[in-house]
Amino acid sequence: MTFSALPVKNRRVAVVAAGVLSPLGAGLGPTLESLRVGRDCVTPVTRFPVDHCRCQTAGQIGDSILLEASGIEGPRGARWDRSGRMVVAALREAQRQDPGFQPQLTVFGTTSGGMTFGEQYYRALRAEQTLRRAPRWIANYPPQKPIIDALEACGISGPCQVIANACASGTNAIGRAAACIRSGRYDRVLTGGYDALSELVFVGFDSLQAATPDKCRPFDRERNGMVLGEGAAVLALEEMNSARQRGAHLLGEIAGYGISTDNHHLTQPDPSGVGPRRAMVEALASAGIGADAVDYVNAHGTATTFNDAAEGIALAELFGDRVPVSSTKGMMGHSLGAAGAIEAVICLLAMQENLLPPNIHFQRGDEAVALTIVANEARSAELNTTLSNSFGFGGTNASVVLRKTSHA
Amino acid sequence: MSLYLAGMGWITPLGSGVAEVWERLLRGEEALAEDVVDPSGRPPYRAFRVPAAALKDLPVHARLRRASAISRFAAAAGTAALRDAREKGVEIDVARMALVFAISNGGVSYTRRFYHDIVASGAGAASPLLFPETVFNAPASHLAALLGITGATYTLVGDGAVGLSALNMAEELMTDEALDYCLVVGAEETDWLLSDAYTKWRLLRSQPPIEPFACSPHGTILSEGAGAVVVARRGFVRITATHPGGSYKNRRQLGDVAETILREIGASSADRVVTNANGTFVDAAEAFAISRAAPKAHVYTAAPALGEGVGASGLWQTIIAAHGLVTRSVPPLLHAPAGGSFHPANPAAGEWPHRQTVVMGCGLNQQVAAVSLALS
Repeated sequence: MTFSALPVKNRRVAVVAAGVLSPLGAGLGPTLESLRVGRDCVTPVTRFPVDHCRCQTAGQIGDSILLEASGIEGPRGARWDRSGRMVVAALREAQRQDPGFQPQLTVFGTTSGGMTFGEQYYRALRAEQTLRRAPRWIANYPPQKPIIDALEACGISGPCQVIANACASGTNAIGRAAACIRSGRYDRVLTGGYDALSELVFVGFDSLQAATPDKCRPFDRERNGMVLGEGAAVLALEEMNSARQRGAHLLGEIAGYGISTDNHHLTQPDPSGVGPRRAMVEALASAGIGADAVDYVNAHGTATTFNDAAEGIALAELFGDRVPVSSTKGMMGHSLGAAGAIEAVICLLAMQENLLPPNIHFQRGDEAVALTIVANEARSAELNTTLSNSFGFGGTNASVVLRKTSHA
Repeated sequence: MSLYLAGMGWITPLGSGVAEVWERLLRGEEALAEDVVDPSGRPPYRAFRVPAAALKDLPVHARLRRASAISRFAAAAGTAALRDAREKGVEIDVARMALVFAISNGGVSYTRRFYHDIVASGAGAASPLLFPETVFNAPASHLAALLGITGATYTLVGDGAVGLSALNMAEELMTDEALDYCLVVGAEETDWLLSDAYTKWRLLRSQPPIEPFACSPHGTILSEGAGAVVVARRGFVRITATHPGGSYKNRRQLGDVAETILREIGASSADRVVTNANGTFVDAAEAFAISRAAPKAHVYTAAPALGEGVGASGLWQTIIAAHGLVTRSVPPLLHAPAGGSFHPANPAAGEWPHRQTVVMGCGLNQQVAAVSLALS
């Protein structure tokens, strides 16, 4: 808080609890099962009309699942945006694993927070409908509200930072949270990401023709766009010695983090892959390892032409065809600010189970880029170190290195 | 590790440039409220707008051609802060600089236009040109491109306290020895929809003045602009502490949270507290916290002169605190009613010797943060 306490460099960061809610399932167990079988959880959009959209599918979380997982119902539920309920569900799962975990700081990522309340307000305004609920919509619309409310609902207080670095937000949040522990300023930080499907964002990606009318096929030669998703994931981080001393269960370690900014274009990456490459190199350096130590990469892999090409070049340059790569977005869609957090949890599960998550709907990769894609079916492999990528609008790139605790 | 403010850039409804805006504040001037109109013809609201002349030094860059107002304000403030630092002899190496961008409502005008097209004409009418500008980190992306920043860039979202949280994040980032500078920017743009929302949220009044610390709050007036500071390892004002902030559950709890944060940041030794008292419920809470944690401090808020700048306000307050320290001067506190429940020390404009100033931000949506500054 003040400069009197100078940081202790290179402390290690353990993941002592995690929770997740995504189209793959509510909780770590169901998520793992979906990864094992390569379940396609993308379904026709039901939350708003998509008749005039090119893309008509998304990864969605059903209302009944959300209700059961969050436990938020009745009149008090009216002020909750869906993304807030998703955070509560993920946070409660993490709390069940480590009830004693009390963070000193919370760092989360999102892109749109309570956007659906903003949409309701605007539609009611333009339709000249009653605006009796407007104060509630407006007060709960800001992007930081879902996490502030979720923390309160789960009995957690304290400072909260919310990063909105587009689709890299979740990974940025985890990276910043880990950096806060490594620097010596904090011992326990709660982190993660959240975003719920909203009409404005869905139509936005559709208007850019970044969303596909077909299947989402990351890294496939015939790929033609992404599908959106939604969800939340929570990771409880703690300084390794502190976690070990109190006998906390260790799910893994956040070993490295890299961030870069690519100034090529607001919505398109530099085709050379320089931005992703710089983030990955920095993450590896931060972890103190070389590319040869990485056993699996969970790619950003949105299945847009430009993203996968740039990321593919960067991956091939760094890892060649030695390291298995998959994007799990074909199964669950791209959950934007939640994606990096969900995919970090997927990396933890993959290491725990020695399982390579599949990249579904894959037939043939780009000719010019040789990658070892985990095509269509999960595979067994010994995984000790994984890397997870997230890249976003604005040229923001983030990578985290995760390590199996027993290997560290 | 000591960190300093090394450069500042300021875009406000009272003009641009630290010296110009400060002179006008010292003279007791306040911005003129203008109509903010609804394209659909609903009654206008009043807000403080940035005059076109304030952007006269905006760099020419392809990224800014179609950029939103908030991006243009941020670009003008960010480049001015770097220019100011260089003029003060600080050599800026952009390769060793991070960017932290504080934002609250974001590019609300483009967002309204984009969603209006969907509501009015269906998804097929949605503009692919507008959508990318609605993303919260679009202004930061434009600024990074303008300045050639290729390292860490963060957009932090929050309420009126977010600018001070951004300074806390900058301090954390600077623990990385690979960084020597962090540009911290806060920005806001006005729009009819925003004023309508804040009115329905029962936080606005229809006309100025903003009356801080009144017995019963009459509401605030929204504003726009940007503030930027260069945080460096040497400079002219020392950042003695930043606070990661806190959240309040309800308005009754705000005063206690603010008091705790003021105590933790060492406000008891502060000569001055620059608040964001803005004519709303936060004023009473700030008054309560200051009277208990920094009872001898002189209290100032620029909200009556500049309006409630939300995402920009934390950086505006920081610039006011820093420039007040350097110039040993203080603008007059406007429209604080003598009969209010809180009587801040309110000297006439002019010299005011002081060495430590605390900046406190109590946001309208549950967040509180603070920063402490002192002369180098």
